[in-house]
Formats: sequence, structure tokens, C-alpha cells
Amino acid sequence: MLVVRRRVGETIVIGDSIEVTIIEISPTRVKLGVMAPREVSVTRQETLAVAADNRRAAGFLGSGKVDGVLRMLGRAEA
Amino acid sequence: MTSTFCDERRVIRSPWLGDVEWDPKCELFFPHGLPGFEDERRMIPVEIPAQRPLVYLQSLEQPQVCFVCMPVLVIDPVFRLSLSDEERATLAIAGSAAPVPGRDVLCLGLLVPSGDTVEVNLAAPIVISLMNSCCLQTVAGSASCFRLAPDGRWVAQC
Repeated sequence: MLVVRRRVGETIVIGDSIEVTIIEISPTRVKLGVMAPREVSVTRQETLAVAADNRRAAGFLGSGKVDGVLRMLGRAEA
Repeated sequence: MTSTFCDERRVIRSPWLGDVEWDPKCELFFPHGLPGFEDERRMIPVEIPAQRPLVYLQSLEQPQVCFVCMPVLVIDPVFRLSLSDEERATLAIAGSAAPVPGRDVLCLGLLVPSGDTVEVNLAAPIVISLMNSCCLQTVAGSASCFRLAPDGRWVAQC
């Protein structure tokens, strides 16, 4: 992994067309600005995991398992 | 079958829920869609009384897209919501105090199938503004997974 030290307002360039600028630094977070071509997807890593979960969630009704889950939930209320 | 909070009628033919009558006033608007479903911007919440506390989020864009959800406070009674400034603006939440689920917003967890049961990531709840009906799925940095156990309890996984 390449490690680069940067200050607020400074930028790194990836390839010919992607720029990542340090916008703000707090004790626990860094705010980044990313400029990239429209065809380049820029996504937080955890959002990718949630997108995969959402696709699985959308398949739940087709899985035939809703009744089983309802039975389990019913046990909690019993 | 009726959508929650409805009066004036329209109908969507859902392959999962059948013909669902809904009122435009009940429509939920997701300005950014959901991760993985960025084009799903219009949904309605559907409750089936016999299946409470399940809540179905039925897409109005594509009838075959429907999510099964549950209020997060049913899963974790001490759930705390954290939103960025941008998310607060989208949901029209004024001030800097944390929004209160049930008063300012409704928070739903998406049920994700996992083997014979389901899991919910409470770090990625659907947040519905009670101010303007705008919604989003907020995504916190680290997952907070709960799994439904055979005895009906929700068990924290991570």
C-alpha cells in the first residue's frame, strides 16, 4: 500500500484523471473530495457491502422463507 | 391489501403482495435510491396486520422489487440513529440534536435472507422522515448485524 502524508487542501492524483483532495481533518475523520470521470464509480467500501445485502434482501420474497421467519417471530411473541 | 396511512386510491400490481391500493400521500421518496437500487426512488410502505411487525417496502418503479423490513426498535430497543449533515438536510431535520425514531423519523431494518433465517444490519437502516416523506438508507462505517434465532429473539452478531 502506498502511504502519502497530506495536509488540508492538498491533493493526490491517481492515473491521469482522478484527483483526491483533503477537504477537512478532525480528530476522528477525514473529509475527502474526489474528482473523477463520470464513468468511474466512487463508492465507500461499506456501501458496496450494503448494496450486496440489498440485492439479497430483494430476493427474500422469492425465496419462500417468509413464512418460516413469521413463525420464528411468532415464537418471540408467544 | 392496503398501504399504510392511505386514503385516495391507486393500484400497483405486485407479484408478491397482489394488487395494492395506495394513496399518493403515502408515497415515500428516496432521492438517491438505495445502494444497489439507485433507480428505485418511489416506494410505498405496506403493512399486513397478521404479519406485524413486518413492513413491506414496495417499489412503484418496478413491481417485482419489494423489500421486507422491520422497525429497528423491535430488533434493538436501544438503537441510536446517527446521520450526517447532508442526510439531515435531505430529511429536513432541523437543529443539531439526534433525530428521535418514532418522533422525527421512522427507522426500518432490511431483512436479508441467511440460511433458514434472516439478518439485519442496523448500521444501514432505512430512515423515513416524518417531516417530508423523504427517505434514505444511511450507511455507518462498521456493520451492526443482528440474526433472528429459532426462538424468535434477535441476537447481535457483529
